[in-house]
Amino acid sequence: MSEPKASEITPSGVALIGWQELVTASLIGTERAAVPAGPIPGSPGREGAPADPAALVLDRAALLTAARRGGRRPERAEPLAVAEPDTVPAVRRAARLRLARMLGGEHPDLLAEWLAAVAARGRRVPAQSLPALLHQARRGSPADSELRRLVAAAGGPRARWLAELNPEWAFVLSYAPAGEDTWRLGDTARRRGYLSALRARDPDAARELVAASWNAAGPDERVMFLRAIARGLSLADEALLDGALDDRHTWVRKAAADLLAALPGSALAQRMATRAADCLRLSRDSRLLVSPPGGCDAAMRRDGITPVPGSGAAQPTARDHLLLEVIARTPLRTWTDRFGMTPAEILGVPAGSWSPTLLAGWSRAAVSQEDQAWMAALVGWILAGGLPGVASGAEALHQLVRRVDPRPDLLGPDADLLLMTLPAVREAMDVLRFRYQMLKELDDDGAG
Amino acid sequence: MAERWDRARVLALAPDASSQRAAQSLTSGRAWAASGASPGAGTGEGTGAGLAALWGECRGSASAPYLTVIDLSGPAYRCSCPSRKFPCKHALALLLLWADGTVAEAAGEPPGWAASWLTARAVKAGAVTTGAVTTGRAAAGERDAPGAPKDQKTAARRAEQREARVASGLTELDRWLCDQVRQGLAASQQAGYRHWDDIAARMIDAQAAGLAERLRGLASVPHSGPGWEGRLLGEYSLLRLLAVAYRGQAGLPGPLRETVRSRIGFSLRQADVLAGGEPVRDHWQVLGRRDVDQDRVRARRTWLRGRTTGRPALVLSFAPAGAGLDDSLTPGTGIDAALVFYPGAVPLRAIVQARHGAVAGSPPDGDSVTGFLAGYAAALAEDPWLDTWPAVLEVTPARSPGPAVCDAAGDAVPLHPEAGPCWTLLALSGGHPVTLAGEWTPRGLWPLTAWDEDGRAVPL
Repeated sequence: MSEPKASEITPSGVALIGWQELVTASLIGTERAAVPAGPIPGSPGREGAPADPAALVLDRAALLTAARRGGRRPERAEPLAVAEPDTVPAVRRAARLRLARMLGGEHPDLLAEWLAAVAARGRRVPAQSLPALLHQARRGSPADSELRRLVAAAGGPRARWLAELNPEWAFVLSYAPAGEDTWRLGDTARRRGYLSALRARDPDAARELVAASWNAAGPDERVMFLRAIARGLSLADEALLDGALDDRHTWVRKAAADLLAALPGSALAQRMATRAADCLRLSRDSRLLVSPPGGCDAAMRRDGITPVPGSGAAQPTARDHLLLEVIARTPLRTWTDRFGMTPAEILGVPAGSWSPTLLAGWSRAAVSQEDQAWMAALVGWILAGGLPGVASGAEALHQLVRRVDPRPDLLGPDADLLLMTLPAVREAMDVLRFRYQMLKELDDDGAG
Repeated sequence: MAERWDRARVLALAPDASSQRAAQSLTSGRAWAASGASPGAGTGEGTGAGLAALWGECRGSASAPYLTVIDLSGPAYRCSCPSRKFPCKHALALLLLWADGTVAEAAGEPPGWAASWLTARAVKAGAVTTGAVTTGRAAAGERDAPGAPKDQKTAARRAEQREARVASGLTELDRWLCDQVRQGLAASQQAGYRHWDDIAARMIDAQAAGLAERLRGLASVPHSGPGWEGRLLGEYSLLRLLAVAYRGQAGLPGPLRETVRSRIGFSLRQADVLAGGEPVRDHWQVLGRRDVDQDRVRARRTWLRGRTTGRPALVLSFAPAGAGLDDSLTPGTGIDAALVFYPGAVPLRAIVQARHGAVAGSPPDGDSVTGFLAGYAAALAEDPWLDTWPAVLEVTPARSPGPAVCDAAGDAVPLHPEAGPCWTLLALSGGHPVTLAGEWTPRGLWPLTAWDEDGRAVPL
């Protein structure tokens, strides 16, 4: 803003009372300061002027205030760099409204899925939503970089342009297409961004890069590597992960074991299947006979199973816990193959007091192995009242409805009406419905 | 049951955006242990059931649930949470759930804790007048003339009394203003709100509510950053100019006299405006709107521009704090309507007299900065007190030396320092020109609406 200087010169060269002189006089007060003398064009002559110096200052100030407001000159400003053009079309109205709802606090945990779906359909986020989205992504923890990566991907060049202007959003730049230098010289955030972007583009190249950098990396960085390659996991990654099972650091071993367990074809998953086979058998009268593992040996620990700390293996909670850990890491095909039943049929087999543990284990396995058939069966079973006392199924339901392919028939006629009154069930159905509509309108968007 | 509100109406009650977010995150079924609605149709017989009401128990961080109860007729809220925001997120969430149809209508009485509060309100309801609304309207210069006078003589006497009161109030104001300048404005940085509230209260007594509103607004000026002395002097000087103009009103042209009187607080009844003015029919584009919280009322300023006439118009609406504002003029839309303008040197404030239908909203034509400033200068020459004026510019946002917008010729105007960093505007522009509507003030442009590349309006 330009404040005129103390005195101003008219085109004819006459010095006028400056605005600043009037301000100074009024600040000190006319009791102590003299009224600045000098002509103001348009002011009344001596005969019209008030005798009170304070009134005289106010009258002159009124004249100059109007003149200054009306005579305001345009200023200069430094133009900003222009953002790269984005040829990707933005999502349309329905999706925009949904984004606004999510940014407004409705199901914010589904933003990542929405962004991934937007990017997968070759669309982008409308520019005006980017600030709120970037703000939201920044609030998440840096280690959980998925939302940040997705915002960067669905935000396109405009998000990068904004990130150049606001240091708080600099994380976007770490996901920009970058040269090898970023990997060699960048800080952790940039390296993480580079690796995630490479993994999304070329999974094999990302794995080779991790393998080549593995020995020089510290434990924190190794965990970061493993998190970054969690997306697009395949059996080609097994050798690398297997090696990490013997790492010196617990967190590295744990991260590798979790990834291997999510790969039903891995050797670790096969070892788990063998362990699980001893735990669960089908009796002749069609009941599930459960015998949890008796203890946690070194081989189990190597495969990522942690016994409950501080409690003896004989305690029931500890045996329960070991059963859950094994089931959660066992390939789900183990059960359908062995029993010759569909997931829904298996869920229907009575298992007595072990039901909640089995449900929790299968749910975790279904989510980590991304097994849609099992997820759908589990959701349907819980909603149909399959589990007495839904409280123990609430956590499983919470996870499942966020990962299962949302279809209207999941909310179908089998659902137990009595259960609908339970908050956890209502919330789950709300999530399913929301996700179904959200994905459907993006599909319609692409088709239209 | 009271007519169910929609989400937008509920969200409009939120005191700020973070309350909106917090409330929406509380609308998952898990947060609410119990909730209910009472129809409010019955007689109630001394219980709260006579009021249309909502209540609920919300699980919060505390061990006991928060107890939230809402009287929908007010609306009025009561919640056991410690939040100082009003309405709190629990009340908003409960309203949202109701709007979504998830609050069951209760068959029986509300629970005791809700009933006792509702009963107390029902008892008071008879005695309570709509005080907030009346004061608010008065502050906004819209109080109806007190009742319909029995005869012409009484009316004339009342009008005369009022003129005398205003005249003596203005003399007092003039003396006060001169005192400020005599003693020096430096002292006002230490003065509290009382300093301005006292003289504002005197202006209310003198039935010059327009001046009171302006004076109350000045309390924040000494804390508005560098240059505050000049801004305060400017405002004081224009107030004295009003006092001087009122004294000499006999010599003023009619429209300017109306401007002076309306700024002082002589208000016209809507009916008189509609009866006295010539309707201007046009396709009015809704440029943008700005909501401001005044003393106990919320005011909504909606700026319009006629596509054919090019005339700017300002439609004001008011609501008591906590109630929804008129939502009928949505920025970015168009309306075929007849407006009637309040008289004045620069007729700006208008009433929608008749709506003939919606017309397609399209981006308005943006002006250059010099063109816009020339237009404002011309208007200011007619009305020196004009301190808000609509701007529609074709500009690119800039950030250096300060937040500003810049046109193709390189001419820039600053953004209002309190308008924030305007990230939405920046994101929309990407360094390219956009059509931007805003409210021009002596401190800079307050951005209101921008149009995206598809011609859709984006509120800022």
